[in-house]
Amino acid sequence: MFGFISRFKTKANRSKLKDKNFEFLFQEDRSGEYVVFDTETTGLDPKKDEILSIGAVKIKDNKILTSQIFEVFLQNSKEISSKSIKIHGIRPFDLKDAKTTKEGIVEFLNFVGSRPLVGYYLEFDVSMVNKYTKEMLGITLPNKMIEVSEIYFDKTISMIPQGNIDLRFDTILKKCGIPNMGVHNAVNDAIMTAMIYLNLTFSKKK
Amino acid sequence: MSIQDQRKLIESIHPFELLSSTTMDNLMSKIDIAYYPNGTLLISPTISSIAFYIIIKGSVTEYIDDEVHNVYSAGDSFDADALIYGKTKAKFVVDEDLICYEVKKEDFLDLMQDKKVQSYFLQDFITRHQQLKEYDQQSDLSPFLISKVSDIFLHVACVVDADESIYGALKKQQELRAKVIIVKEVEGYSIVTDTNLRQRVLLGENDISKKIGSIASKGLITIDVNDFLFNALLLMTHNAIKRVVVLENERIVGVLEQLDLLSYFASHSHLVAVQIDKASTLSDLKLLDQDFKNLIITLRAKGVKVRYITKLIATLNFKVYKKVFEMCVEEELRDKCALIVMGSEGREDQTLRSDQDNALIIQNGIDTELFKAPMMKLNSHLLELGFPKCNGDVMVSNEFWRRNTSSYKELIEKWTYDMSDESVQNLSIFLDAKCVAGDCTLLDELVTYLHSSFHSRDDVLAHIAKAVLNFETPLSLFSGFVLEKEYNNRLDLKKGGIFALVHGVRTLCLQYEIKATNTIERIKELNNMGVIDKTFATELIESFDTLSSIRLKAMLEAKTIDEANYINPRNLEKNQRDLLKDSFKIINKFKKFMSFHFHLNMVV
Repeated sequence: MFGFISRFKTKANRSKLKDKNFEFLFQEDRSGEYVVFDTETTGLDPKKDEILSIGAVKIKDNKILTSQIFEVFLQNSKEISSKSIKIHGIRPFDLKDAKTTKEGIVEFLNFVGSRPLVGYYLEFDVSMVNKYTKEMLGITLPNKMIEVSEIYFDKTISMIPQGNIDLRFDTILKKCGIPNMGVHNAVNDAIMTAMIYLNLTFSKKK
Repeated sequence: MSIQDQRKLIESIHPFELLSSTTMDNLMSKIDIAYYPNGTLLISPTISSIAFYIIIKGSVTEYIDDEVHNVYSAGDSFDADALIYGKTKAKFVVDEDLICYEVKKEDFLDLMQDKKVQSYFLQDFITRHQQLKEYDQQSDLSPFLISKVSDIFLHVACVVDADESIYGALKKQQELRAKVIIVKEVEGYSIVTDTNLRQRVLLGENDISKKIGSIASKGLITIDVNDFLFNALLLMTHNAIKRVVVLENERIVGVLEQLDLLSYFASHSHLVAVQIDKASTLSDLKLLDQDFKNLIITLRAKGVKVRYITKLIATLNFKVYKKVFEMCVEEELRDKCALIVMGSEGREDQTLRSDQDNALIIQNGIDTELFKAPMMKLNSHLLELGFPKCNGDVMVSNEFWRRNTSSYKELIEKWTYDMSDESVQNLSIFLDAKCVAGDCTLLDELVTYLHSSFHSRDDVLAHIAKAVLNFETPLSLFSGFVLEKEYNNRLDLKKGGIFALVHGVRTLCLQYEIKATNTIERIKELNNMGVIDKTFATELIESFDTLSSIRLKAMLEAKTIDEANYINPRNLEKNQRDLLKDSFKIINKFKKFMSFHFHLNMVV
């Protein structure tokens, strides 16, 4: 039933694709890889806010392919508020070599292909990206999505039913024994999320 | 920005910081992060190594023949040998979920083209150990920059009122043995130096009944007691003066002389020696106590090898012993006996004073009772000087350790057949005996007797050597080190490593009739006699030096003697930790050697 609905949705989405060059997004994925990604944005409202940078890294089996790190900074229409600079640490100065949103998004789509996406609070990052893809290509990201906090929740709830589970990023990091790599930026967060994912899917004891 | 973070992490791991920027860029584009759950077998004789691993988090244990050979944790990397030679006899097992960087085999071999990296990975133990030590010293701050004014000896300041007569002020200066007179004015201070006196009194028209204030120079140059010595030197150089007045909370606490400042940096060991010779009372000697500690701290900070520091300290301590001996024993009795120090003092391994182990050998035919009172006095003097009491009561105040030559020979006789713990312990202590005062031929005679008594007594020797295996070397499963829970996760350096080495070497020397008492000299002698080869000897010496230097650091930081042998490896720098681990490996190798040499597995 659900399979049917999602297939239907994908089909509807695909029919809206304006640029045939991006057909590859809908092809079946045979790489066996996953893409973990994270974005830094000007704020938390996908309608108003914009993406400042995207960081992504591929996972294959038990490996995070840091040898192929993806990182892009995007130009912005508005001035970055000083409040958000404190969070993502991206100053207007850092964006001086930034790409246009179009270039950046295209590079990102090429990096991702039709691989499944993994992330923490992925819904937000995906809707941020969708905002651009809808405009450019008429579609939303068709990839399969894996939410790490959901895996974490499922694993933890079996141990403490009815418990309140703390799903904050730093808490999950700590519980999974992942070293905090310091500064929060798109690439670092993607790498840490990837480590969480590997820990949750490979670890035997949890 | 973020790729930078990854890069920084790698660069913080020796020897990767040696790589050039381009090589590093190249490397970064080839590195992946891998995750391995607990229990994964990474490399074994049948699974060949496919990558070089650098641990971010977690730990891996290396087994050779099912024995723990090494443990790797965050910041460690492995295993170059397996990659270079394409095979290994070791087994690498993840024992705590592992997150690590992986450099693929081909890329690692490419990296090895870099001479510096290559030499690091291809070195044998000794060179690698020495390289690590050097690297470690580079990071030490120069003592010159970190010593403070409060660390150094300050002269008493002679402060007088401006109304005081020149004569009165000079009297006071004489009493206090001060170099200068500081004059307290209504507001602030001024100073009278020898130059002032020469120019204004001897050559000028002032006479000594005049007020001291009239000949003083204004503008006292001062420094705060918490300021750096380096600044004091700058002040002196800048103002072309030979001394500065030291203040603490705006109050004068003393005068810092240029001569002291310079000799402080020149370690002033000769000064301590001269002062011991000059000392005429016990309190003179007592004053030197702080100097000893300063001397150790300065030398250590300068990167002087611990074995040279201990040598120097031993020499100075022997001087103290000799002095105290002369204070306590009547002149006509002095050449009728020999004062010996044993244990760590006898081995000249001692840095900070641990417990005293000493004894007296009395010439045959002399009444031993004559020495009772002087030895009691000597013991109390030593205690007062801060030589801690010996828990085992191995001191001249104990009758057991105050006998004549024939009585000692009987004791040695007993040691050759009595296998009680007490006898073995006493023998071990006596083996390190070194004569410090009196007629030293008395000790030589006993040592010769000792060696001949134990000649070809391999059974007893094996029994003595067995103690080497008493304590497990703390290199094992628990994150690289076996820590003792009750001691706050710290490990015992003495039991865990130093004891086995010292005792083993000592026993070998008894067997081969080597007279040296210093552990390093003993190892060299053993090498000369062909008991151990050159490489092994050097390995043992380097390990001993590392253990002693880490122990010295712990001792300087410890508050009590009991605490001093414990260190927490987590508090050590990564390099120190590696050095320690390497040293423990050598200790294990030495234990195996001892087991084989004395057939210890057959001794019950």
